[in-house]
Amino acid sequence: MFTRRDFMGCTLGGLSCLSLKGVVPALFARSADEARAADMNDHVLVVVELAGGNDGLNTVIPFENPLYYKNRPTLGIPAGEAIKLNDQVGLHPRMGPLAELFKEGKVNVVQGVGYPEADRSHFRSMEIWHTASTDTRPPTSGWLGKFLDAGSPAGVDEAAPRGLALTGVLPQAFQAEKTVVPVVAQLDQLVDVEDGAAALGKLRRKLSTAPGGEGEVGFLRRQADLVYRTAERLREAAAKYESEAQYPEGELGPQLRRAAQIIAADMGVRVLFASQGGYDTHANQAGTHGELLEQLAASLAAFQDDLESHTRADRVLVVTFSEFGRRVDENGSQGTDHGAGSFLFLTGSKVKGGLSGEYPSLEKLGDGDLIHTVDFRSVYATVLERWLGCPAEELLGQKFAPLDVL
Amino acid sequence: MRLVLGDAVVWRRDREAGTCGARRRIGRRGIGGPLMGYFGGLVMRIPDLSPYVPGSDGPWDARTAAHLLYRAGFGASPSEIERAVSAGLEPTVDSFFSESPGEEEHFQRTFEDISASMANFGEPFVLRAWWIHRMVRTSVPLREKLALFWHGHFATSIGKVENTYLMHRQIETIRQLAWGNFRELVLAIARDPAMLVYLDGESNTKEHPNENFARELMELFTCGIGNYSEKDVAEAARAFTGWHREGSEFRFNPEAHDDDVKRILGRSGRFDGSDVVDILMQHAATPRFMARKLLRFFATAEPADSAVDSAAESLDRAQLHIKWFLRDLFLSKYFFSDECRGKRIASPVEFVVGAVRTLGVRIPAFELAERVAAMGQELLAPPNVKGWDGEQKWINSSTWPARVAFAEQIAGLFSDNPFGPHLDLPTLVPPDVTDPNAIVDRLAGLLMAAPLAADTRRDLSEFLITTDEGKRPDLFRDDPDFRADRTRAVLGMLLGLPEFHNC
Repeated sequence: MFTRRDFMGCTLGGLSCLSLKGVVPALFARSADEARAADMNDHVLVVVELAGGNDGLNTVIPFENPLYYKNRPTLGIPAGEAIKLNDQVGLHPRMGPLAELFKEGKVNVVQGVGYPEADRSHFRSMEIWHTASTDTRPPTSGWLGKFLDAGSPAGVDEAAPRGLALTGVLPQAFQAEKTVVPVVAQLDQLVDVEDGAAALGKLRRKLSTAPGGEGEVGFLRRQADLVYRTAERLREAAAKYESEAQYPEGELGPQLRRAAQIIAADMGVRVLFASQGGYDTHANQAGTHGELLEQLAASLAAFQDDLESHTRADRVLVVTFSEFGRRVDENGSQGTDHGAGSFLFLTGSKVKGGLSGEYPSLEKLGDGDLIHTVDFRSVYATVLERWLGCPAEELLGQKFAPLDVL
Repeated sequence: MRLVLGDAVVWRRDREAGTCGARRRIGRRGIGGPLMGYFGGLVMRIPDLSPYVPGSDGPWDARTAAHLLYRAGFGASPSEIERAVSAGLEPTVDSFFSESPGEEEHFQRTFEDISASMANFGEPFVLRAWWIHRMVRTSVPLREKLALFWHGHFATSIGKVENTYLMHRQIETIRQLAWGNFRELVLAIARDPAMLVYLDGESNTKEHPNENFARELMELFTCGIGNYSEKDVAEAARAFTGWHREGSEFRFNPEAHDDDVKRILGRSGRFDGSDVVDILMQHAATPRFMARKLLRFFATAEPADSAVDSAAESLDRAQLHIKWFLRDLFLSKYFFSDECRGKRIASPVEFVVGAVRTLGVRIPAFELAERVAAMGQELLAPPNVKGWDGEQKWINSSTWPARVAFAEQIAGLFSDNPFGPHLDLPTLVPPDVTDPNAIVDRLAGLLMAAPLAADTRRDLSEFLITTDEGKRPDLFRDDPDFRADRTRAVLGMLLGLPEFHNC
């Protein structure tokens, strides 16, 4: 759990009490900051990566804009099919469950998100999003890793991880100096191995975690012990969890279901990271993309439903992102190539529902791509300051104006 | 163009330089302080790196040989250990540097064959698997081990380079120059097309100097941080202007080159990139920086300062010839002392390739490369230009389960599979060995750098003969299938124990 001491770590060097700054003495400013952070210290952030570059134009459809249909002769979604969010834009027709959440005021659609001098390489653009830095020599730590490091408390139970990856491998966003972020799938694998042969598992644990040991063996045993204890907690969380929520099959649904188990178990996890791949739709996009968006919408809705039934919904915020959007005009293979600027969703009970940011122009393009209207780090700054209670400027290296979405 | 040097330059040949045909400048005054340990023809004996004399300093037995083989290669099969013990220490160390005739040609031919009809080396995963394949199959493991060391040292990632051919060429270069003169290697890297992309050398021009490569060359590749100024970086970047590439070849572009006088580390001249390399090779901090890094990789995770001093002196005396330095190290009392035994954590590649070589497992290299990546060492993609931190940083709650899972996979392979992944258990533990203690000892002797603790040994022996219904020594003795099954379980256990990951 987040303690007072954590928060001190988090604010170190950055006394950023927004409205009070300069009016009241620094001491009070800090207290106000602390109070705000204390209110947030049970908040959980779930980041959902849409890997491959999601076609934002066909996700949040500008159905009144003739340029959209001109650029998308075969892929354009007809105005009558888009699920209208207002009189200008609508969601992809297979995103019904998300549209329902939107109606309930639990979704904010951030339009035109990107960064300057967009890079069309998956690797590079992902690196920029994960590190929150456009420097050519980006920091080793990811933005979420920095958050966890900043609040990394001394003397807490190390087996209570504050970040967890639901993906197959550790995402770059979770790279950190001090904090170890376990990959849930790998801990599960260990549990599976042991479950397959109970006596073997028991003995392995005994021998792997015995106190003492020559050379580096002692270190390795302490690490192994930590792994077992963490795995155990996840297993307990899964055992306690019961749910009626209907998650779709596919990559994302099971990850979010696992996230709900972990959140319901109140283990002190602050950040979870899930990923859905397949958005790199260079050819025959329509079917694939629709399928992915359907899974996305159904997974997010099931997750919200699940959290509500476990009375955790007020504490959880979901943010989606993708490394880039796609080229405005479709290619010759009924697909789209790598572009820039896209859209992201914030979902959760505490989200201010609606649309934010400005829909990017289809007239004025940058090298055939949308020009972003919102820097993605404004979204990060919002999440850090208004959801996780961590001063963003220091972490992001510069000031980004927060959005009015929380 | 030549360096403008204030110092008298004398060329001579000495023992080691003579052997390897290089020449050495002596009588110089170091840039960052006096150079250590060199006085004319006198070869000083550094106490710490003095030779290990089997007999008076300790044994030359299977465990001692295994320590040497683990560090100089990947694991050690029983036959390799046997060969080393009977050959003796010095001949074993010398054998590390002797290539089997035709091996390189064989690998090249295989590579071309695979490329012609089997797999696409344009795919990074194919190239990763190829490298793992070479590590598993080579008869000169030290060369691959050094290539791995240099890959982490001159860390270059395919993520930015985005060209597997360039990455392949770079690996070939570091493999080929692995134990030669460090200067040659640094120069080759400065001209290496993958590096020119990775550290932006290709956009380094007279009009717009790019400092990326010059900075890392000093900070990470040669003398280390604190041994140069920001001005030195800027001036060195100018010297490398115009070092570009054309496709996959180095090309010097005279129009983009700044031919004016530069002042670098106290010297001035119309330097170009190779002059900068020369200056850095003569920097007193370079042997120390490199010696520490080599010790960390080959000897001990935390070398004491005095050991680094001695090693630096040895490397300096070897004129930055990696081969002569490593030979000294592998023959030294220090290397076989408690300061180095069991003082490292196996990297994912060392663990995986080591297990496969030690046990003679047959398993596709594609799979091994993936396993290694899951353990935090994705080949061709070091996390950043600093390479992998290594040692304790290898181990966390993601990577440890990945190691245990691999141990289980290996142990689960079957002996009677004529095709596909395969583990030949009967060659490791002959079927007629029926004593549980003997089986545990045999496996532990095969895998562990140090003897097992008594209670661990007892637990494992008991585990061997225990079924769900309790202890069944009779069944263990009489049923070879049951015995093999249990033996396999203990093998998997040993591979996944902390002791096996400490080397």
